Amino acid sequence: MLLEFVMADRLLEMRSISKRFPGVLALDGVSFDLEEGEVHGLLGENGAGKSTLIKILAGDYSKDEGNIFISGRQVDFHSPSDSQAMGISVIYQELNTLDALSVAENIFVGNLPKKAGLGTVDWRTLNRNARTVLDRMLVHINPKKIVGDLTVHEKQIIEIAKAIYKDAKILVMDEPTAALGEKDTVSLFNIIRSLKLQGVGVIYISHRLNEIFEITDRVTVLRDGRLTGTEKTGETEKGKLITMMVGRELKDMYPKREVPIGKTLIEVKGLNIKGIVEDISFQVRSGEIVGLFGLLGSGRQNIVRALYGIDECESGEIHIDSKPVMVDTPATALKRKMGFMPIDRKLEGLALTMTVSNNITMANIDNLGSGTLIDREFERKNAQKWVTDVKIKTPSLETDVNSLSGGNQQKIVLAKLLETGSRIFIMNEPTRGIDVGAKVDIYQMMEKLCENGAAIIMISSELPEILAMADRILIVSKGKITAEFGREEATQEKLLHAATI
Amino acid sequence: MAKDQAVSGEGGRKHTLSSTAILFIFLVVMVAAFSALSRDFYSIYNITSMLTNIAFSGIVAGTLTLVMIMGGLDISIGGNIAFTSCLVAYLYNLEKGPATGIIILIALLLGATIGSFNGFLITKLDLNPIITTLGTMAITRGMGYVLTKSRSILILENVVGFIGRGTIAKIPFPLLLFILSYVVLTILMGRAKFGRKIYCIGANQEAAKLSGISIQKIKFLTYLISGIAASLSGLILTGQSAVGMPQHATGVELDVITAVLLGGTSLGGGKGSVLGTLAGVLILGVLYNGFTMIGFRYVHIRVFQGIILILVVSLYEVREKKSY
Repeated sequence: MLLEFVMADRLLEMRSISKRFPGVLALDGVSFDLEEGEVHGLLGENGAGKSTLIKILAGDYSKDEGNIFISGRQVDFHSPSDSQAMGISVIYQELNTLDALSVAENIFVGNLPKKAGLGTVDWRTLNRNARTVLDRMLVHINPKKIVGDLTVHEKQIIEIAKAIYKDAKILVMDEPTAALGEKDTVSLFNIIRSLKLQGVGVIYISHRLNEIFEITDRVTVLRDGRLTGTEKTGETEKGKLITMMVGRELKDMYPKREVPIGKTLIEVKGLNIKGIVEDISFQVRSGEIVGLFGLLGSGRQNIVRALYGIDECESGEIHIDSKPVMVDTPATALKRKMGFMPIDRKLEGLALTMTVSNNITMANIDNLGSGTLIDREFERKNAQKWVTDVKIKTPSLETDVNSLSGGNQQKIVLAKLLETGSRIFIMNEPTRGIDVGAKVDIYQMMEKLCENGAAIIMISSELPEILAMADRILIVSKGKITAEFGREEATQEKLLHAATI
Repeated sequence: MAKDQAVSGEGGRKHTLSSTAILFIFLVVMVAAFSALSRDFYSIYNITSMLTNIAFSGIVAGTLTLVMIMGGLDISIGGNIAFTSCLVAYLYNLEKGPATGIIILIALLLGATIGSFNGFLITKLDLNPIITTLGTMAITRGMGYVLTKSRSILILENVVGFIGRGTIAKIPFPLLLFILSYVVLTILMGRAKFGRKIYCIGANQEAAKLSGISIQKIKFLTYLISGIAASLSGLILTGQSAVGMPQHATGVELDVITAVLLGGTSLGGGKGSVLGTLAGVLILGVLYNGFTMIGFRYVHIRVFQGIILILVVSLYEVREKKSY
């Protein structure tokens, strides 16, 4: 009896969890626990093992070693429904709402109240129940509203409501504020605090250290699949967490060098895309990295896609070397020596079933020989040069790209960009989802490009990265450039604040 | 040639090449088995006539490989062949009809037109290739019936016949065309910039677009090539049979797709090789010829064809899964 009481105290305990994927040990003996009514932050670089740990908890992956206890009872999940049955709910960054249905239908999906006899949906009861759940969270959303019309934050609330209705004891939130403005973040934190009071345990994943300090009780840091430590939030500080996360001092991570800034290479004047971006003007000089920062949907992507000639724009001029140029397709952009790194390497960057060498030369096929045939020796030499320079780890040039790690794949995307011989580079989330070592290699190459007189436009959602690497940062908010910060004056707070106005 | 290719580095090279090697080994085993079982099989006469007979479908299988590596499909091939044969026979039997050279030119122009039509719809209007070519398949075969009033038109004094039955240095002309087309296509896909772009589009169209590859131009040209090849096949078939008729090459598109799939090209695109398709074409040719020689009937052999397709494609699936 006593024993049971003591064990039941801890809502969740994950002990020495290990998970191996072909070629990588994604988790190596990681332990994690959660108390009732506690918000426990989970920190780590991309690839540190956060999502693997969460997926094991959610029943998406099975663990290779270790034990999971919920309220003292050992459990074994074989599928997501096993995990849900134990009161675990995960709210992913990409929300899983059914946009064509109403708020109430979304909350009660799979368990709609039926009218006795007829078996048709009892709309009145459904909407009333939905209102009860939403009231409990102190939010006011009309249950009859179509979810597709809601804001990201409201959709998030719907997902939380769904979890509460299912009586979730453990709520996992993966980067919940990534797409939120300041006001919505405050609202979200209020909801989290009310959940705490109801005894729900929340696992809170975020890169934003300020939020970790504001909302969590404890914080656990992972690095390279291992536990680096669990700290009481009140008794630690930022610098310590960063060192725990990165494993090295911040200044070693970003090899920013002083590069002389030259003349303007590209100037954008009055770029308009109807209903999306308005009057965008900026310039980038040789040797300079200009960062574009903004929230999801702010229009950053639309700006660079229009620049590279992927999407059409209503009006606007592009000047390269002070001369007006037309860029209406990626092919013309490449002719103007402008290269583009897409945001998603697998969807837009790589031909995964083709070889390393074929991928590297993909944007430069026409220059691989003078006639209609490819000069294969020339191609091999070019590819080999980039493999060496960008430090791509591959068994051979003839290896298919899909067998390489994310970091090496990203380096191939970079190599492909370099192979085009461009001078203006648009780099879209250049280090998304890759390990620290590969990141540093990519930063080093960016610095080298600047030293050789290139101009780089960088989009990054990772604040430390954009702060460390960009010479100037332009803030894009609701389709406009709303602020500009020099390297010296920019801080996380200023950027976030400006981006959410 | 196979060894030479291994060094170059094409899409999915390692898998398709070794699979191609296995296919050729399988082919040799089949030939050996049939030679042992039937004295008539392994003779110059039989092998040559078999190759000549598969030439017309072999050529379109080669060009269809390009279309399928690009992630597309062209099932208007059979209709195109039939319409071409009808048009050729029709023009031939006109009083004061055009000269043979002109007829051949018109025939190839017809194929080019059908190919361009497919290419236009698929690139400019972004229609689905299966639906588009299903449409042109019906249109072309239907036009064949309309033009001939559903009859067969004999071609008595047959100069077109040279394309079907003539020889150069004792080698049948269709066989020469067959060999020549595979040499050209192998170089095109293995070494030319154009072929590389086809692989890129098939492997990841979005990435190809962002790499400055003109998707529309390459796609259009590939369907154009497929159309011209089909009319060339139509000319061969007309020459071989000395008759133009709308029933020609009925269902040939399915046999041709079978050969391409056997050769290791995937329906999703990005993977495959012309050499693999050649192996597929030859295996099917030997299968029909060999089993006929040892006394099986056509209907039985069709069953074998289905079994072999499913077996080989399952094998590819298994290898694919193992390699990751």
